[in-house]
Amino acid sequence: MARIWPIGGGKGGTGKSFLAGNLGVLLARNGFKTLLIDADLGAPNLHTIIGLSYPAKGLSDFIHKRVETLQETVLQTPIPNLFLISGARNRLDASNLAYEQKMKMLRAILRLSYDYILLDLGAGTSFNTIDFFTLVDSGIFVCCPEFTSVENLYRLIHSVCLRKIRQILKVQHFQELAEKAEARNQDATINRPGYFLDTLKEIDPEKGEIIERTLQAFQFRLVINQLRKQDHPEIGRLVCKLVAKHLRLNLQWIGNVGYDDLVHGGFFAREPFVEKYPFSRAAMDLKAITKDILGMSHEHKRVANSTHMNTDAVSGSVSL
Amino acid sequence: MMRLTEENFYRLLEVDVDASPFEIVGAYKDMKYLYGEDSLASYSFFSGEERREILAKLDEAYSTLMDEEKRSRYDRSLMERDTLQEGARSPRDRKTFRCVSGSKYGTSSAPLKIRNELKDIVASNPVIQEILSYDVLSGEDLKKIREALGISLELIGEITKVRLIYLRAIEEDEFNRAPSRMFLRSFLKSYAQSIGLDAATVVTRYLKRIHD
Repeated sequence: MARIWPIGGGKGGTGKSFLAGNLGVLLARNGFKTLLIDADLGAPNLHTIIGLSYPAKGLSDFIHKRVETLQETVLQTPIPNLFLISGARNRLDASNLAYEQKMKMLRAILRLSYDYILLDLGAGTSFNTIDFFTLVDSGIFVCCPEFTSVENLYRLIHSVCLRKIRQILKVQHFQELAEKAEARNQDATINRPGYFLDTLKEIDPEKGEIIERTLQAFQFRLVINQLRKQDHPEIGRLVCKLVAKHLRLNLQWIGNVGYDDLVHGGFFAREPFVEKYPFSRAAMDLKAITKDILGMSHEHKRVANSTHMNTDAVSGSVSL
Repeated sequence: MMRLTEENFYRLLEVDVDASPFEIVGAYKDMKYLYGEDSLASYSFFSGEERREILAKLDEAYSTLMDEEKRSRYDRSLMERDTLQEGARSPRDRKTFRCVSGSKYGTSSAPLKIRNELKDIVASNPVIQEILSYDVLSGEDLKKIREALGISLELIGEITKVRLIYLRAIEEDEFNRAPSRMFLRSFLKSYAQSIGLDAATVVTRYLKRIHD
């Protein structure tokens, strides 16, 4: 079964597509069959990041039933093992998907057979974005070390957290318990998850534990992008600390991608950044992050046997 | 667990109940950085009112835990409420630093960082300030200051590279144990600097007794 990583960040321009595209390239180059899905339904451009100018088919063909299966919309990219479902051909009103369309798409994604599926999500906190995080219980958040970006990141994470708590309360039939918590203390609302959970646990430890465990099961990662020399290098750690303490979500900071002027130049080259500048500062950071995603676990052992890795190492390309 | 501002001071600062003043200073600075008005990491996470509440609580925690008397009273009140285990309250049980390496400041600039933070404690600790007001300082006075800071002689040795035998000699007023008066002056200076004291003042006031 594919490991699915939705990638979002709240604010536009934080580098979600850049991260998705380049992580996809790195995973593929290391022998993992990887699918990129441009789920930024309003402003798709993942195809450009990986150097495909005119995708012949895309997500909209599936959404509007021009093809039967999602697999039929998959494009082969110039990079072995890397595939794309483009959003380039989406209609301009495609950003407002009906809930049923979204669920249909998600079910279809879950049926796809890949090692990794990276979903490039749009900015903002619409249900389109939030639902991708809550339904697969994982995700990578991208944030720049700027006040506006941090503000939107927290807004997104908070929205994901609230949506998930609401879902748990509904599925487990705990709404009455939530009302009791709020009646006991007016501050214990789901808008303040930490306080809310503590109060729930005081009233009913077992049910409180169930909710907390479900929230903790999320596999969230954080990447700080465009980090400059003057920025605090551990801002990611501090963000994760706050989220764990006050929202009870398991958010792990997996690294920084340093600000790199070459990134801008890479966009003009219209080929994946990590391929164009494999030894640049940002590319090296992306490789370190990919390593973390792979986790050096049993999955990574596959890499050792991969002919791709050996080939790329010799050619000086983008292997980890 | 409670809301942040309702947590006890130790949990609020994320330190152990036997934390040394040095650890408390470090934790307080970390927390101020995280929850401060200008903090990027917590920007927009709290309302203005929540942030003010947290900061006020952090200040209260810091001023209480850095004052031995207030801290003992606070510990007693926690024990009465059964939120602090018996045995962790005694100042003599509190941690002293035996080794720099392995601590959060386990880097080449560690001694400098420690010194800078200790200066803050020295300036705010009334016991130390009283001792420093004396015209003449004894080894016993220096030992009291060191213990108030929660620092072991071994740590000073590690920072200053001065052998323990000479550091003990300073605290025991055994002036003749040092190879020479010049060495004694040098060891004394290193000792004072390592714990955030003004070296010139300490050397002058300590050596005054020998000269007298």
